Amino acid sequence: MPALEPVRGLRVVATADALDGARWIGEIVLLRLAPDEALAIDATAVVIDDPDAIVEPETGFSAAVLEPPELGRVADHVEWPLPTATNALGQGKVAGVPARILMSAVPVLVVQTAYADELERRLGWR
Amino acid sequence: MRGDGATESVGRRIVVDGRPIEFVEGDSVAIAIIRSGEVPGRGGALCLAGDCGDCLATVDGLAYVRTCQTLARPGMSIERHPAEGKPRLPTADLADITSAPLGQEIPVRRASVDVVVAGMGRSGAADGNVERDAGRSVVFLDARAGEEVVAIYPGPAVIVREPRRMVHLEADRVIVATGSAEIQPVCPGSELAGIVTASAAEHLVGAGVDLGRAVRIRTHPIRFEGDATGRITGVVIAGEGGSEVRLPCDTAIVDLGRAPRDVLARMSRDEAVRVVGSAADDHPLPPAPTGGVVCPCMGTTVDDLATAWDKGYTELELLKRASWAGLGPCQGGACLPHVRAFIAARTGIVPEPFTARPAARQITLAEAAADTTIDAFRRTPLHDEHLALGARMDRFGGWFRPWHYGDVVGEYWAVRQGVSIGDVSTLGKLIVSGPDVVEALERIYPCHVADIKVGRSRYALLLNERGHLMDDGMILRDAETRFTLTFTSGGAANAEMWIRDWVDTWGLRVHVMDRTVSLAAINVTGPFAKELLARLGLVDPPRFLGHMRVDIAGVPCHVMRLSFTGEAAFELHHPVDRSVELWRALLERGHDLGIRAHGLQALFGLRLEKGHVIVGMDTELDTTPRRLGMDWAVRMEKPAFIGRQSLERTAKLEDDRRWFGYAMDGEAPPEGSPIRVPGGDGEIVGNVTGSWTSPLLGKALILGWQRRRPFLDRVEIDGREASVTPTPFYDPEGLRARA
Repeated sequence: MPALEPVRGLRVVATADALDGARWIGEIVLLRLAPDEALAIDATAVVIDDPDAIVEPETGFSAAVLEPPELGRVADHVEWPLPTATNALGQGKVAGVPARILMSAVPVLVVQTAYADELERRLGWR
Repeated sequence: MRGDGATESVGRRIVVDGRPIEFVEGDSVAIAIIRSGEVPGRGGALCLAGDCGDCLATVDGLAYVRTCQTLARPGMSIERHPAEGKPRLPTADLADITSAPLGQEIPVRRASVDVVVAGMGRSGAADGNVERDAGRSVVFLDARAGEEVVAIYPGPAVIVREPRRMVHLEADRVIVATGSAEIQPVCPGSELAGIVTASAAEHLVGAGVDLGRAVRIRTHPIRFEGDATGRITGVVIAGEGGSEVRLPCDTAIVDLGRAPRDVLARMSRDEAVRVVGSAADDHPLPPAPTGGVVCPCMGTTVDDLATAWDKGYTELELLKRASWAGLGPCQGGACLPHVRAFIAARTGIVPEPFTARPAARQITLAEAAADTTIDAFRRTPLHDEHLALGARMDRFGGWFRPWHYGDVVGEYWAVRQGVSIGDVSTLGKLIVSGPDVVEALERIYPCHVADIKVGRSRYALLLNERGHLMDDGMILRDAETRFTLTFTSGGAANAEMWIRDWVDTWGLRVHVMDRTVSLAAINVTGPFAKELLARLGLVDPPRFLGHMRVDIAGVPCHVMRLSFTGEAAFELHHPVDRSVELWRALLERGHDLGIRAHGLQALFGLRLEKGHVIVGMDTELDTTPRRLGMDWAVRMEKPAFIGRQSLERTAKLEDDRRWFGYAMDGEAPPEGSPIRVPGGDGEIVGNVTGSWTSPLLGKALILGWQRRRPFLDRVEIDGREASVTPTPFYDPEGLRARA
């Protein structure tokens, strides 16, 4: 059974151009939450061209890898079409809980840790 | 109508109204009942095609089931709906409605396809195959195979009921190919038992049901005649020269033409929904009805239509609502052609069919609610710590929060006389940064912002354009162009949207980051709070309304010195992954100081003694600072801020609403209690928004509204007299918070 595990990284709010050109330190999984906001899982530092950028260490999210059979089961709890492009980020409710699915080679479900317990219960993971 | 079928039905029985009847393999429930010599519903013309509502019954406890579409199975229990009124519905134990789920959980399968075809007749199959041949993914849905389309929503989205699950389909296009339905007779006696449509008769004959003496009529009858049991005995039709011809019968087979089976087509005006085949054909209307029941579902008669018409309800949609014709389970499947004919005969214009709405078929609440969930409530990182301390958790402001730990008064005294910790992780927290950030905040908030020094903070209201209170919180300056903003737990999301929207509207260079779920917060409060924090490394804490970043017990914290409790208080904002560590350290090092955690109930009492407002609990949608007595938080000398113009205008008007503090002897009255004129006629002048029996002051303290001038100094609450009392009730000089 998958499990949502807390992740660490950096969250950055900056101009869209600055985020496009940001150089991340570390082997990261990048979630572009908005044109001006990114969550870089496992990032330890970032070089970004925006003097007013807000760069904060982030520990408020949890993630689970969705192997193909589990992705299908999770998709049954998603009312929006899952993106098909590689590395596209889908954002919306999963089983009624605000969440994100990164369609990387192995899809990743990302949720605020404050919702992790609730989402795991709703998905029948606990 | 009766059939033998004895050899095939051995051992196969269903129970109808408590009486067992035998059925033949393959019978629908309706046919099994007809085979026994009864009718499945309450009479009326049966179509046995799922179009009319005349065979609805309660099947295995489920009401409004189309028995013609339900395969009979051994042991099935059928309860026919009463001739008058509604069927009996299941009841729940309201005393403990949350103890167990009611009904069955229905799974949902979701899919996205190019094309959905509803209906597997010739037209549907042909059009669907064209789409498939063009390389598009096509889903064919066949009601006869148990795939009932119950709704088409804009999108389009198609909702399908299958025997054991629901299917939600997102489609680029939907083809509605539901065919046509037979027109029902409308004349006196059409509610009698023993009337069937031509297709239904074929169906029954094919099933071996003896129709007895049957007559087939192809013209609209003048009337049906029946016996005292409600069964048909004859049909009267028009003869030559205006005469009447009576045709005695056991069964009347009505063959009156067809009308579009268009409930689904009428449900969606989406351009992506295309209606094909008979469902789209322009079938001729029947003659205008002159008597009898038009809408068998609702019992609407032609006289009812005429009465509504005479009152001026001459549009189809209005006539529907006024007469109830078409509001029943079949949504006009039976009556719509007749109602259109009724109007056409009076206006010369055939009206467009009225709209149908989901669900096209009666579905259970479990099916409607399949895979829908109540709002998700968040848990703070200290959730399990609260449980370990025996907390009773409650949902508040979108979060699970400790309501109390079993001793509200003890928690209260810990704050007033010792030291206590509270989980305030739920507070909204934003970081705002950028060259225009001061300008943005000056425009957003009604207080001054530019003069807040780095390391200092200010309490602030958040107003909308009408000057009404949306939220409140703190503005903390981190650097010249960077601030932390806090908001209430329940108002944080709205406040964030508000700020983002205005910054975007003004085109100001401001970045906004929501840190609500990233940072936990623990409020350390009480006379020994400083002592406790000193033990954990904070030797030189910020003074009142100051803030600083420092490690406490090794955990990086943003320490904010403010007070909601009325005592010295320090909010320790810190990364959520370090929260348990910090919480435990505080409890451990504060043990000899008598530390204990306090829950919301104690917090609400503490704040009430200080007269602090809780936005959303104490306020209404149109609460202004003046009504709260909080004009001091609004700086009208500022040239511009959101809500300023409205406040300036309304300041010139007399206001008949005011939020007051009250005190009275005895226990606190329930929150929500009416506030009345004392000793008079009991006129209600307001209501209680917060109440608390103060252990310290030994009396009931109340916050609440008066909505009538002149404002009263003495009121009656809960049958007792209460006096308007200035707030704060406790430590009005605020010395303890600043200590």
